[in-house]
Amino acid sequence: MAAKQGKSPFELLGLMEYLLHILILIGIYVILSVSLNLLAGYTGLLSIAHAAFYGVGAYVAALLALRLHSPFLINIFCAVILSGLLGLLVGLPSLRIRDDYFVIATFAFQVITFSVLNNWVSFTGGPMGLPGIPPVSFGGLVLSPKWVFFLLVLLFAVLVLLISWRLVASPFGRVLKAIREDEVFAASLGKDVSYYKVLVFVVGAGIAGIAGVLYAHYISFIDPTSFTVMESIFIISIVIIGGAGNLWGSVIGAVVMVALPELLRFVGLPNVVAANLRQILYGALLVAFMMARPQGLLGEYSFGKGGGR
Amino acid sequence: MIFSQLVINAIIAGSFYALVAIGFSLIYKTARFFHFAHGSVYTVAAYLCYLCFSLWHLPLLIAFAAAIVGCIVLGVLCELLIYRPLRGRGAGSLELAIASLGIFIILQNTLSLLFGEETKTLFSVEVKEGMMLFGAKITSTQIAIIASALFVLFCGFILLKHTRIGIQLRAVANDPTLAVISGIDRNTVVMMSFALGSGLVAIPSLLLFTEIDVTPTIGLNIFMMSVVVMIIGGIDSIPGVYLGAMFLSFVQTFGTYFSSSKWQEAIAFCLLLLFLLFRPQGFLGRKAGKITL
Repeated sequence: MAAKQGKSPFELLGLMEYLLHILILIGIYVILSVSLNLLAGYTGLLSIAHAAFYGVGAYVAALLALRLHSPFLINIFCAVILSGLLGLLVGLPSLRIRDDYFVIATFAFQVITFSVLNNWVSFTGGPMGLPGIPPVSFGGLVLSPKWVFFLLVLLFAVLVLLISWRLVASPFGRVLKAIREDEVFAASLGKDVSYYKVLVFVVGAGIAGIAGVLYAHYISFIDPTSFTVMESIFIISIVIIGGAGNLWGSVIGAVVMVALPELLRFVGLPNVVAANLRQILYGALLVAFMMARPQGLLGEYSFGKGGGR
Repeated sequence: MIFSQLVINAIIAGSFYALVAIGFSLIYKTARFFHFAHGSVYTVAAYLCYLCFSLWHLPLLIAFAAAIVGCIVLGVLCELLIYRPLRGRGAGSLELAIASLGIFIILQNTLSLLFGEETKTLFSVEVKEGMMLFGAKITSTQIAIIASALFVLFCGFILLKHTRIGIQLRAVANDPTLAVISGIDRNTVVMMSFALGSGLVAIPSLLLFTEIDVTPTIGLNIFMMSVVVMIIGGIDSIPGVYLGAMFLSFVQTFGTYFSSSKWQEAIAFCLLLLFLLFRPQGFLGRKAGKITL
């Protein structure tokens, strides 16, 4: 049995490399879930389009690095701008439709973005993806060892956390929460609800773009299957299980959701079975949290309003 | 010739969409949330049929019946075990949809675990030469899909307009509070709509399965198409669903004819966005409360 399923991750990568890999993934998902938390947890705008922002960031960085050999910082700058623009587009319908209808609108943007990444073969490489993305380098200094890249991801994750924390602790953040709790009330206080909703979408999407850039440079190969609806759903479950409306919740959610299923690898299950079991675990967690603790581990918001009818 | 073939193809696809979406729309009417697991009920129907017919070698009709009954049981179980307790504690439509998403993920991966990721077929390769109709090719399965869509449309219409349960269903859809005050048991009605909707979605699944293979992952697509059709058609009426399905399939069929079939999904969702933004109540719907402030 053990011989049949090939080498364990330990033998393949070495313990240190493997742990760093997991830590880098956690860092990327912290950035993704914190940025989604700004939209879903603080403003109450649940979005299934987060993998689209993530994907746009990754593709912008990959295309710039491959076609123009542009440096990392310029890639990140352009990726944030373009993901933010897509965020603007996705955020606009929130002015007209709300609740689950809005979720379906973001769903539509996710499917359309995936379709473009997958089918515009001459530009994005289509299902073949984009191989050979160079590692991050600063002025000829290549950050090739894994731990250096980990420090870079850590730096960005901390930066994102700081920015988000400043944002939600500011008057801006209080308006977001007011919109979440009662939109009409926020408007009655003279707050321009539309402006805030669209702005938070631009910010959240831009931050998700950063995660995409890091991912593209780290994995060095991207294809559309990394940015599907299911990926969006995974990021949503991190936010929900960690706790919507609490930044630490998203950090803990990312750690739990990325690291916990890795334990399944060590039980000695074949890879396919482990992948399915991991998904079943996510699904079961979602149902269980909705039934028993809809606000998640640390959250303060449970998507409960606007409901019943 | 190519034109009539396109029209026939669009009618077939539209009938299929209508069959899939009618059950979904029935559930949305009474329960008021997006039942993601509808897509997995569709998949479960095909796999139950595969289990009974191909693995246990039962007669095809018994396999079909088992699949339909299995779907009804599955739909009712979702409602009783998960949605009803959630509604009981006053959960909103988003919370219910998230729980449903969880069920969807569990069911899809359980199917992969039990049957494997590879495609499954009911009959070993047997290319059926379609017959000609108005200069277009059509197979008997496709005729069955068109006929059953019309039949379900008709029955659904009669059911909603003229039977006791249909009237109760519409009452709950219209105004749950008022329905409860009038002595209607909302929970029973919602459960009935889950039973009906889940049983109905088995029909297109089984029909299509006689011609086309399935994989565990098709459920998401089925859910997406149900949503698009329901919103385009308007959630209020069964003819609306049929009209929405036909509109979607005609736009898709002719749109992909002039571009490429790979843009099918993108076309459907662009259409959905246009409707959400400019006519969110759909073709035949009244204005719903989910729109604007």
